Amino acid sequence: MKSGIKGLTPTQITGLFLGVFGLFLPFLLPLGTLSFAGQIGLGIFIMAAVFWMFEPIPIYATSMLVIFLQILLLSAQGPMYMDAKLPAGKPVALQENTWQVPTGALRDDQTVLVVVESGNTEEVPVEIVERNGQHVIIRSEQLSADHEIVTNTNHRLVNYQPNSYTDYIGTLANPIIILFLGGFMLAEASVKYNLDKNLTRYLLTPFGSRPRFIILGLMLVTAALSAFMSNTATAAMMVTVILPIIAQLEPGDRFKFGLALSIPIAANIGGITTPIGTPPNAIVIAALTEYGKSISFTDWIIFAFPLVIVMLVFAWWLLLAFFPPSVDRFKLDMKGKLNLSPKAIGLYVIFGTTVLLWITENQHGIPSSMVAFLPVAALVTGQILSKSDIRNLPWDVLWLMAGGISLGIGMDKTGLAVWMISGFDWGAMGYITLILVFGIVAVAMSNFLSNTVTATLLMPLVISLHTSGVMGDNFNLLITGIVIAISCSLAMALPISTPPNAIAMSTGIIKTKDMAKIGVIIGIVGVMLILAYALFYWPIVTN
Amino acid sequence: MERSDIYILCIEDEQEVLDAVVRDLEKLEEQFPVETSTSAEEAREVIDKLFEDGKKIGLILCDHILPGDNGVELLIELHKNERTHDTRKVLLTGQAGLDDTVKALNEARLHHYIPKPWSREELLDVSVNLLTDFVIENEENLLPYMITLDAERISEHIRSRHNISDE
Repeated sequence: MKSGIKGLTPTQITGLFLGVFGLFLPFLLPLGTLSFAGQIGLGIFIMAAVFWMFEPIPIYATSMLVIFLQILLLSAQGPMYMDAKLPAGKPVALQENTWQVPTGALRDDQTVLVVVESGNTEEVPVEIVERNGQHVIIRSEQLSADHEIVTNTNHRLVNYQPNSYTDYIGTLANPIIILFLGGFMLAEASVKYNLDKNLTRYLLTPFGSRPRFIILGLMLVTAALSAFMSNTATAAMMVTVILPIIAQLEPGDRFKFGLALSIPIAANIGGITTPIGTPPNAIVIAALTEYGKSISFTDWIIFAFPLVIVMLVFAWWLLLAFFPPSVDRFKLDMKGKLNLSPKAIGLYVIFGTTVLLWITENQHGIPSSMVAFLPVAALVTGQILSKSDIRNLPWDVLWLMAGGISLGIGMDKTGLAVWMISGFDWGAMGYITLILVFGIVAVAMSNFLSNTVTATLLMPLVISLHTSGVMGDNFNLLITGIVIAISCSLAMALPISTPPNAIAMSTGIIKTKDMAKIGVIIGIVGVMLILAYALFYWPIVTN
Repeated sequence: MERSDIYILCIEDEQEVLDAVVRDLEKLEEQFPVETSTSAEEAREVIDKLFEDGKKIGLILCDHILPGDNGVELLIELHKNERTHDTRKVLLTGQAGLDDTVKALNEARLHHYIPKPWSREELLDVSVNLLTDFVIENEENLLPYMITLDAERISEHIRSRHNISDE
């Protein structure tokens, strides 16, 4: 159904209008304690969320738009704040502890704001003695003659110190983005020199020709590749491997459903394994790092790998239970020859060295984002990747992640994130319920939305639960972050849930019903498993 | 399956032969609507009409002997036309001599030559193959075509060209 504005669907047109309306919505509502900058931030947040859900523009475009609006409306150099100065003046002393201040200085809750160092303000409760036209006479023992008090408490700089626009545009060079850039370039070169296909051929050999082990092999290899490459590219490559196998089966054979489902499932789960496996990991790692919880490449693998293996084995068992093999043996015939040109060998060495340095980060201590520049520099220096290869990198994904990170920074800076969680008694929830709720919400959301977007929308809440301290000592920022990242990758019930699902569905082999059945079970079991790890395993390894 | 806006055009002056071609393409028609014409002149009109409606032409199957301009002349003209330059062109004929065939190959960049009589399988294979080339070259979203066209080649293209990214 295409009509209206430049071929947008009715849903997209709705999204477009809702999103633009959402940008202004916070200024039409009474939002209590939310600062002016918080209102701008909320507008940007609503617009981004609506655009990401309805996709009137591509999701990476929304990310770029977020950064643009932030530098325009929230940064210290943007037109909104470039000449702004917090209006402040000294209170006039009348008698001991009695002061006269402008009416604008007194807030509804009978406090005034005293400017403390670095432009922050501090609330001081006062007692009203007399209202006197433009002035108020107040009594307070905490004020002194050299205090600067804010004379207009509705000013846009109250409770907000704009940061430089470079903080927002700088997200594109955030260490985690550079880590992904390194991963993308390795993946690009691997595809160019068919390393992914040749590895698949070698790795599948030991799994023989019995169908149940071939499926296991396919899943393990898919997961291993998608831990370092894009889930989508891996799934696309593996589809070329399974199509010839499926052609050997009888047309009505249900085993082909299992085969075709094994690829997207393994690709989705495999992405969890490493920081660079899939973009939601980046959103979570960037947010955690911002709050002093940096995770090394090695740490991430220690957290995620044991869960990935259990999920893969479970999914394997599930697929075999639903779609048992109908034949005894298969012919798995993959043609190809290892490329032994000097450039290809250069790639193998760079690939091996980089991965080795990444997974041993804890042993040598060189940050993985620094190591990521080894493939970046070496692959172009050795001309293993050409100019056109560099242009072919998935830059849209880098921007998508950068926009997500930038949105998080803005939400935190403007006080929006803390304001959003303030209406709810989180402390009453308890830690276990919290993990469960975040897991379920993340899986449910990312079944319909992009995984990265889901992580982007949920991570600021996690961060503000941490900074506001409402959850008390039980709350563990690191573990809650990991819960979000992993949950986002466990959504695979629908063709639209992830690109690998979309590819598998497009082959026409699987029915949506089968994908939904298996996907829902994996989602539910996944959340249970996450809860178990959050209670018993991660607390041990994070200390 | 959703109908795409990519059309197949068959040009053949004998109605029975035209019907046979259309029948053989039945499997593709659900996704790639088939238009027919019986002369070069009519073909030009059909093409203009389709482009006016914002459609694309993915594949042209053309007989050589036609009333008015012959098939090879038409294909050369369509190759030079920007709008039909990327369209895959097949000469489906029993009567084109060597000279005409060579001319079609050199000047119209003929993509395939199917001698009459043809087999349904051959016609379908060639059409699927050429339409796969066409969508890979011209379409942004390839997923809808995997089910009717060459899924293996489309997957391979997605793998290497990243036209779908992780999100």
